[in-house]
Amino acid sequence: MNCKKFEKWILRAFDGRLKDNEKKELEEHVHSCPLCSVTQEEYRVIFNTLKAKDFPEPKPYFWERLQSKLEERKKVEPWILWKKWGMRAIPVSFLLIFFMSAAILLFSPPQEEAELTQDLSQSGILLLQNQNPLHDTTALLETAGIEDKNMMLIFTVLEENNGTRRDLK
Amino acid sequence: MEEKELVRLSREGSEEAFAELVKKYRIKVFNLAFSLTRDRDVADDLAQEAFIKAYYALPRFQSRSGFGTWLYRIAINHARDYLRKKSRMIQISIEKIKESSILQEDKTMKEEKESAEAQRKQFVHQSIRSLPEKHQVILSLRDIQGFSYEEISRILNISPGTVDSRIYRARKMLRKKLAPFFSRQGGEHEL
Repeated sequence: MNCKKFEKWILRAFDGRLKDNEKKELEEHVHSCPLCSVTQEEYRVIFNTLKAKDFPEPKPYFWERLQSKLEERKKVEPWILWKKWGMRAIPVSFLLIFFMSAAILLFSPPQEEAELTQDLSQSGILLLQNQNPLHDTTALLETAGIEDKNMMLIFTVLEENNGTRRDLK
Repeated sequence: MEEKELVRLSREGSEEAFAELVKKYRIKVFNLAFSLTRDRDVADDLAQEAFIKAYYALPRFQSRSGFGTWLYRIAINHARDYLRKKSRMIQISIEKIKESSILQEDKTMKEEKESAEAQRKQFVHQSIRSLPEKHQVILSLRDIQGFSYEEISRILNISPGTVDSRIYRARKMLRKKLAPFFSRQGGEHEL
């Protein structure tokens, strides 16, 4: 006897999914098999107990209560949206600010240097650029020295021509 | 007004149309929730929340499946979430129920008869709740609510073959859970 197969058939019979010839075969088997007879009876009790009878009704004013909940939701929705997205936006904003600041600091040092040099004198600027601030002055002085030498030569020649010596009294 | 038209109007924001849909489906949705929770207050809350979810999901509803099937799917999923959250709280102690039924034996015959049906119901439903969640759901849909195999297949989005095998397994498991109860009855199944 294949009781496992007949247990499946018992369940299919309760669902009305058994063919006529199968039904007949099942009946014959259940009649002759006490085990399957008990199985069938137990399932019958279970199904009778399970059937949705004596179910309570939903609580009164179902739609009215639902409607007020929907209205409430509509009012709260912007706050829910803010809570959902706004809270996420805060750390994202901080990150953006951080990266932007870092980018400004990293990629625009010449601008800052320019801002610094505004308050410095010309000599300060030259020193900052690692140049000698006395470079031009030295050149001027050197030029002046050559002129002085030339003047001295001219005076010497003139004095020689006049027959007088400057160093003689 | 036709259901499709009601759905279209609801999608456009008509509360009147949505009220009609709620009126049509509220009992079924409530029963679904009740069959899984066995608590009227909880079932009422779950049904309301299922309708709220459906209302906000309406713009995404594509009429491939019927509105009812889609709504039941929402309700079942919502009830499932609830069951998962509450699973620890509703761990069933069959022993407790057995104890209570033994205590019942001390009562008079009249009292016993009166409480027998309620007791049997309680025992069967508690046993269902001790099953894995997917088996609870399928028993609720088929054996409590009486949905067809095809409807269950659409609601749960599983193949008819899976529905068939899952129902078979769930029923067998339930019967096994109820074995101590049946053996105590000594074959008198009318209880």
